[in-house]
Amino acid sequence: MTDTQWPRYVVLYQDREGNPHRYAGSVHAPDPEMALLNARDVFVRRPECVSLWVVPVDRIFAVTAEQLEEHPDLLAVLPEGSVQAAAYYVFQKIGARGLHSFAAEIEAHSSQEVLKLAVEKLPAKNIMVWWVFPAAEVHKSTPEDIQAMFAIAETKLYRDQGQYHTVAALRRIKEQKDKEHANNAG
Amino acid sequence: MRADLHEALSARLLAMADDELILGHRDSEWCGHAPILEEDIAFANLALDELGHAIIWYQLYAELIGRDPETLPDELAYQRPAADFQNVRIVELPKGDWAFTLVRQYLFDVYEAVMLEKMAESQYDLLAGAAAKIRKEEIYHQRHTSAWVRRLGLGTEESHQRMQIALDSLWPEALSLFQPLPNDEVLAEAWIVPRLADAQAAWEGQVRPWLTDAGLTVPGDVHAAGKRGQHSKHLAQILDDLQEVTRLFPDNQW
Amino acid sequence: MYGATVDPIDLTQQDDPQKLAEFEARIARGEKIEPGDWMPGEYQRQLIRMISQHAHSEIVGMLPEGTYLTKAPSLRRKLILLAKVQDEGGHGQYLYHAAETLGATREEMIDALLEGKAKYSNIFNYPALSWADMGAIGWLVDGAAILNQTMLAKCSYGPYSRAMLRICAEENFHMRQGQDIVITLATGTAEQKEMMQDALNRWWWPTLMMFGPHDTDSPNSGVLIKWGIKTKTNDELRQQFIDQVVPELLAIGLTFPDPDLHYDEASGHWITGPIDWDEFWRVVKGDGPMNKERLAARRKAHEDGLWVREAMAAYAKNYEAA
Repeated sequence: MTDTQWPRYVVLYQDREGNPHRYAGSVHAPDPEMALLNARDVFVRRPECVSLWVVPVDRIFAVTAEQLEEHPDLLAVLPEGSVQAAAYYVFQKIGARGLHSFAAEIEAHSSQEVLKLAVEKLPAKNIMVWWVFPAAEVHKSTPEDIQAMFAIAETKLYRDQGQYHTVAALRRIKEQKDKEHANNAG
Repeated sequence: MRADLHEALSARLLAMADDELILGHRDSEWCGHAPILEEDIAFANLALDELGHAIIWYQLYAELIGRDPETLPDELAYQRPAADFQNVRIVELPKGDWAFTLVRQYLFDVYEAVMLEKMAESQYDLLAGAAAKIRKEEIYHQRHTSAWVRRLGLGTEESHQRMQIALDSLWPEALSLFQPLPNDEVLAEAWIVPRLADAQAAWEGQVRPWLTDAGLTVPGDVHAAGKRGQHSKHLAQILDDLQEVTRLFPDNQW
Repeated sequence: MYGATVDPIDLTQQDDPQKLAEFEARIARGEKIEPGDWMPGEYQRQLIRMISQHAHSEIVGMLPEGTYLTKAPSLRRKLILLAKVQDEGGHGQYLYHAAETLGATREEMIDALLEGKAKYSNIFNYPALSWADMGAIGWLVDGAAILNQTMLAKCSYGPYSRAMLRICAEENFHMRQGQDIVITLATGTAEQKEMMQDALNRWWWPTLMMFGPHDTDSPNSGVLIKWGIKTKTNDELRQQFIDQVVPELLAIGLTFPDPDLHYDEASGHWITGPIDWDEFWRVVKGDGPMNKERLAARRKAHEDGLWVREAMAAYAKNYEAA
């Protein structure tokens, strides 16, 4: 058997109810459940998550604005044949500083068809990257998981840099020294 | 609180705190040495959580005996010799291979989950509150370690063998978790802490089927190995490490 | 298109001056290059080199701190150090990911590290000898890293820039907790102060070397700056760091192992004595105090973990639906 670092899963997180899921990074894991658990340990150390999704990286159909411009045939869709329609998620990265974020759920027969529909119908402008992948490929945390998996981070305040009042401490020490100097000089 | 309850509860809290401190220490030894990066991160998290639990129990112990919860935990961790620690032996054992660590962690996680579930309904409010809080983390731990146990139990011939070897040696050690302390009975009667026999039944009800489904053979009727408070040579070695700096430079604030 | 990564370098594209001009125009406009966009092979190569080195540094960096996880002298310090080490693993993880989007695989990167072919930041080839080293590493090493990473957050390659932003947000706590340790020791008992001074004496020069060779000796810098990968030179960052930490450490009563260190009124900068680059190159080439140990530790972890990785893969194959 060859030694591997296991397959990769892209990690998408939702920081608050109502906000779109966004791209966090990826984790290596042998299967979807371990990917979800690893994703929580790697990405949810600070309290800002209510939902986590993981999807195998090779299921993501990714196209950049530059590629679309150069290869318009990407939007030419093959005949469906007997392929069933399925739900796909569309993520977009908007602008230079944008993070790939959930844009829409579209039902179609292929990633390419979804991309075509998305390009035609979604209103956002200045899209730098499109991602399309089947909803069925996504392993998700559940609302019940919020307490056990995510809420805990709120209690671990030592990760907050504001807990270390070193700026104030340094200032106090400096003031003390300045006072001593003044006393010695006087 | 009645004097006998007070004494019994303080002994139990100290025992629980010591268990978590030493187990967290063993967990933290994996940092930088785990089989894959994601597990280095996961184990650091695990160690962090166990240490956090230890601190909570030490603080509760301090409250109970009228000492400062801000300073007593460090005193207990850094000033006591091995003989005064009240942990069970299973948490002292060297981390071994990954199978050993995971089996130990799994058996302990389920024990903790079972205890916490019942302690969340304790008549002693402070304990109920702490247990409810810690329980949330334990649910996550158990999900993680049980997933590992199943996968390694069923994975390859080699992983299966290592897991079985680990289980064979750890099962009797784990049973020591359920040996009551001298005064645990009064705590159980007062609905402060669950009866350990009940906890053991609940624990076996969970771990036996899970381990069996993971392809492992669970030992039949076995005696608990050792008694809580009876230590192996490993505890002294752990404390040599843990207390190294404070022994070299006593009476300092850190 | 599948996999959200950059395709392998197509060398036939490398001679296309028009594509190169468009690429450089995008960078000049402040656009981010994302996986899937055209990029010069050299850009891809440089980034994989830089990012994987950065990732390896985080991973190896867990080792000196790992030694003191078990020895932290208070429970609070233990918690903090554990959180820090967990973060560092996470940072390595984000960085490997960024390199993976460029087509590098983690198997290749790990193999390169363990075979001694890949570099990582020299600073982690120095041993952690006392508790005070944790303070020095936090304030100095992480402080230096923050300056570097803040600059790299403006990098033209999207995934690397995003990784840097995420890391920067978390790294501040690392520096602050280090500062907290240093201040506690430097203003503590005589023996604590001595411990801290000794640590500073050992970590000061290696930290300055973290910023890399002088600009005049840095062959990669030109193209890295042209393509928006770096926006400041080694010497610029190093000077920024020196000006930041020297007055603060002096103010708490610590001294520097540098008889030439002085403040230059004219330029408004703190000037150090000469850096011993011979030592730097010796350590880079593998002759530092801990080079062998660090790699040996990583190799052992990797080898010991082989049966685990294989078992998990086997389970997924046999028990999880395809």
